[in-house]
Amino acid sequence: MTSEKRKNNGHVAELLSGYVDGELTQQQQQRVDVHCADCGQCRNDLVELSALRDNIGKAGFSGFNQDVWREMMNDTTVNTTRGIGWLLLIGGVLIAMGIGVVGFLFGSSTGIGEKLLVSVIYGGLALLFFSVLRQRLIERKTDKYKDVEI
Amino acid sequence: MNTSQMKQELITLGGGAHALAFQILGNPDDASDAVQDSFAKVLGKPDTYDIDKGPLKPWFLRVVRNRCLDLLRRRRPVGDPVERLVDKSATPEQAAEIGDRDRALKEALASISSEQRQIVILRDYLDLSYAEIADVIEVAPGTVMSRLHRARLALREVLKSHDQ
Repeated sequence: MTSEKRKNNGHVAELLSGYVDGELTQQQQQRVDVHCADCGQCRNDLVELSALRDNIGKAGFSGFNQDVWREMMNDTTVNTTRGIGWLLLIGGVLIAMGIGVVGFLFGSSTGIGEKLLVSVIYGGLALLFFSVLRQRLIERKTDKYKDVEI
Repeated sequence: MNTSQMKQELITLGGGAHALAFQILGNPDDASDAVQDSFAKVLGKPDTYDIDKGPLKPWFLRVVRNRCLDLLRRRRPVGDPVERLVDKSATPEQAAEIGDRDRALKEALASISSEQRQIVILRDYLDLSYAEIADVIEVAPGTVMSRLHRARLALREVLKSHDQ
């Protein structure tokens, strides 16, 4: 096989899948037709790729029928209870924190200097926490390497 | 498209979405969870789908794929990938129906990369066009044909080596 023929063969090989899928332009289709008329290897590839495509199309990759999905779609209990659960948890934590802060600032006998010091430390920790949380959330949305498998 | 129409269409897409999710997550139960989460997400905000931007099928499959990738990032799969991707939840009757050819196909799919599996399922099982596949997996439309071809060749090689 000449180098020119090998080069053409390589190019057509990549077009074979497009040919099988009917995704080529008319010009590309003609190129594949002309090439395959003269190349038994590519003709064979075409037949095998076509058979592979048909077999995958007919395969049973999901054992669930539409009734299962209909049932699943109408089952809103999980999401509702999950939403209520989060709401109660966050609400409870916020109320407990609020009571703690008010109790500490206005109810305890601690001196104003110590109150200020403790407030600064906890305020700093809270700011650091929200800063890291914000950064993680932004990264999660914009990480372009998220699909990379290690 | 109103919510009722959307629901009807989503029900028909459930099986295909599950097949895609299974190829990404490698576990039928996780795949069901991903599809259910996607249903909830889409039906919770049906306005996020814009019919002018294209059909519901590729859009929903992209939602499912993104959900699967979210789940994957939270937990790395363990165990042999071939073992994981061959569905053992099928009953004996279902297994008999699936047959040897399907089993060989599933095993072969399990041995190629996740990216290759996804593109083969999207084209050959879910019958998406190249433009729609590009939209779902978020790549340039021009790269779909070459990636798909490489995936099919890899799959063919694995199936041939199984036969020998």
